[in-house]
Amino acid sequence: MNAHRVFAITRRLLQQFRRDRRTLGLLFGAPIIILGLLYYLFRGSGPSVALGVVDLDQGPLGAAVASRLEASSGVDTTRLDADAAAAQLKDGRLAGYVVLPADFSASAVRDGVIRPQIHLEGSEPGKSAGVVQAVTEALGGAAASELSTSAIKAPQVRPDVSYLYGGPSLDTLDYFGGAFVGLVVFFLVFVITCVSFLRERSQGTLERLMASPLRRVEIVVGYMLGFTLLALAQAGEVIVFALAVLKIHNAGNVLLIFGIETLLALAAVNLGIFLSMFARTEFQAVQFIPLVIAPQLLLSGIVFPVSSEPGWMQAISNVLPLTYAANGLHDVMLKGADLGWGAIQLDIGVVLAFCVLAVIAAAATLRRRVA
Amino acid sequence: MREGSDGALAVEVDGVVKNFGRLRALDGVQLGVRHGEVFGLLGPNGSGKTTLIRCLVGLVEPDAGTVTVLGRRLPDLGVLSRVGYMTQAAALYPDLSVLENLRFFAAISGGDRHVNEALEFVELVDRRDSVVATLSGGMRTRASLACAIVHRPQLLLLDEPTVGIDPQLRAQLWDRFRQMTASGTTIIVSSHVMDEAARCDRLGLILFGRLLAEGSVADLLAMAGTDRLEDAFLKLSQVA
Repeated sequence: MNAHRVFAITRRLLQQFRRDRRTLGLLFGAPIIILGLLYYLFRGSGPSVALGVVDLDQGPLGAAVASRLEASSGVDTTRLDADAAAAQLKDGRLAGYVVLPADFSASAVRDGVIRPQIHLEGSEPGKSAGVVQAVTEALGGAAASELSTSAIKAPQVRPDVSYLYGGPSLDTLDYFGGAFVGLVVFFLVFVITCVSFLRERSQGTLERLMASPLRRVEIVVGYMLGFTLLALAQAGEVIVFALAVLKIHNAGNVLLIFGIETLLALAAVNLGIFLSMFARTEFQAVQFIPLVIAPQLLLSGIVFPVSSEPGWMQAISNVLPLTYAANGLHDVMLKGADLGWGAIQLDIGVVLAFCVLAVIAAAATLRRRVA
Repeated sequence: MREGSDGALAVEVDGVVKNFGRLRALDGVQLGVRHGEVFGLLGPNGSGKTTLIRCLVGLVEPDAGTVTVLGRRLPDLGVLSRVGYMTQAAALYPDLSVLENLRFFAAISGGDRHVNEALEFVELVDRRDSVVATLSGGMRTRASLACAIVHRPQLLLLDEPTVGIDPQLRAQLWDRFRQMTASGTTIIVSSHVMDEAARCDRLGLILFGRLLAEGSVADLLAMAGTDRLEDAFLKLSQVA
C-alpha cells in the first residue's frame, strides 16, 4: 500500500466536497435540524393533555380528586358538566374526562371501592395513558388523605373505562400505522419520480421531448399518471398488508383510505418533478430526502401528534401537506370518519390544492431547466 | 443573401440575439436555409452552433430577432411535428428496446408514424428488440437518427451527428442524408469537421455567435481566395 496514492484519493474526495456546497450544507446542517426537532418534540413544553372533570360526588372525596387533578402538571384540567364534557370529547378538545358519581365518597366508605368513570377519546394511545395515569395518581392521593382518619382500609379503585374511538387494545402501531401507510407511499413515489425525471434530463431525452410538439403540462400529467398507477398498486399492497396481515386498527372505509393515498401519491409525483428541477445529479436528488421527508416524518403528526407540539412547531406542521393526509388517515382509520366529516373535507381539500399547486409549479419550471 | 421569396426558405433567422447571463451566445444572426438543401453550420466549439439549432426547435427563446421555420414564426408548437431533431449525444431511453424508443418518439411527435421504414432506413431491423443500453455507439447513433425521422419531418436538425463515429458509418449516414434531401427534406447539420462541411450544399460560418459568411463551398473559397476550406475558415475568422 502506497500512502501517497491513498492520500491522493482522500485529498481528491475532500476537494470534490469543497465544490459541492449543497452536500456540505446537508452534511452539517441536516443533523442539527433533525436532532433539534426531536429535542422540541420530546422535551419541548407542548400543551399538556386536556382533561375534563365532572364532579357529581356528594361527599368530600370527589372535590379532593378534582382539586388534585387541577394541581397535576401532567394534565390540563377543567371542571365541566356531563353534557359539555361529552361534547368536547367528541370534537377533540378533550383527551378524556372523568366522572365522579354521586355515591363516589359513600361507596368508598361503605364498600371500600371507588368507581370513577373514565371516558377516553381513545385515538391517541399516549394521551389516553396520560389521562389514566393522572386520574389514578389523583385518586390514590385523595383517598389516602381524605380517608386515612376514618378507620377504613384503603379503598379499591375500579375505574370504568370507556373509549369513544378505538379501545383498550389500541396500541402505538395502530396510532401511527395508518398515517405511516401514507408516508411510505409519499416517500417512495417522491424519490422515484425525482430520480427518473432527473435521468430524463441527464440522458438528454427531455431535450427531445421539449423539441417535440408535446406541451409541458402534457409531460407533467403523463408522468403523474404513470407514477400514480405505480403508487396505487403499491398503496393497495401496503394497505392490505397493514390491515389484513398486521391487523392495524381500522374503523373506516378502506376505499376512503385508498382515495387519500391516491391524492398523496399525486402530490408526491408533482413535488418530485418540481424538486428534480433543482438537482443536477441523482446524488443531489437523494439529498432531498433528509430535507423534504425527514421534517415531514417528524412534524406531520405521523409519530408525534401535532397537538402535542409546541405552538411554533404546530405552525410549521400546519403548512405541510402530509400533516393533512396523516390527519385524514387517522380520522378514517381510528375514528371511522367518512366524507361527511368537515375535518375530512378539509384534509382532502388541502392535499388536493397542494397537488394542483405542484402541477403548476412543475410545469412552470420545466422549460427553464431543460439544459 | 436573401434569395427567392420567403416561401422558398425552409428556415429564416432574422437578427437573433441570445444572452446567457453576460455571455452573448448569438449576436444578431441572419440566416436563410433553402428547401431541400443540406446546410452546414460550421464553427469551433462554443461558437453558438448548438444554441442556434436549439433556437430553431424553440428550446431557446431569442432575446431579440425572429425565427421562422417552415413558414411558421416561432414559438409554434404545431410546426415541431414537421421538424426532426437529433441531439449531440444519442438521447434515447437506455432501458427500452430500439422499437420501443421509436414507437415512443413517433407517438409524441404527432406526425405520421413510420416505425418500420425508419428501422429499415438505419438498418436496425434485426436489432429492433435489443435494449438500447446493449447497443454499440454507432448503432445508438443510428437508432437516434431513426427516432429523429420516424415522423418524416420536412426539416431535420442534426447537432454534430458524426462526432466520434467511424468513417464507414459517417459515409453511410451522409448517404442517408442525401436520400432524404432527394425526397424534399431540408437538413441543417452542425459540425466542426472540415471534410464534412465539404459535403454540404451551402455553409454558414459561425464564430462568437455571429454568422461570418454564408454560401456554397465554392463561394466561401472564392471569398477567402484560398483553395482549402480550412484555410478559408481561418482567413474569414481573422477578418472578423
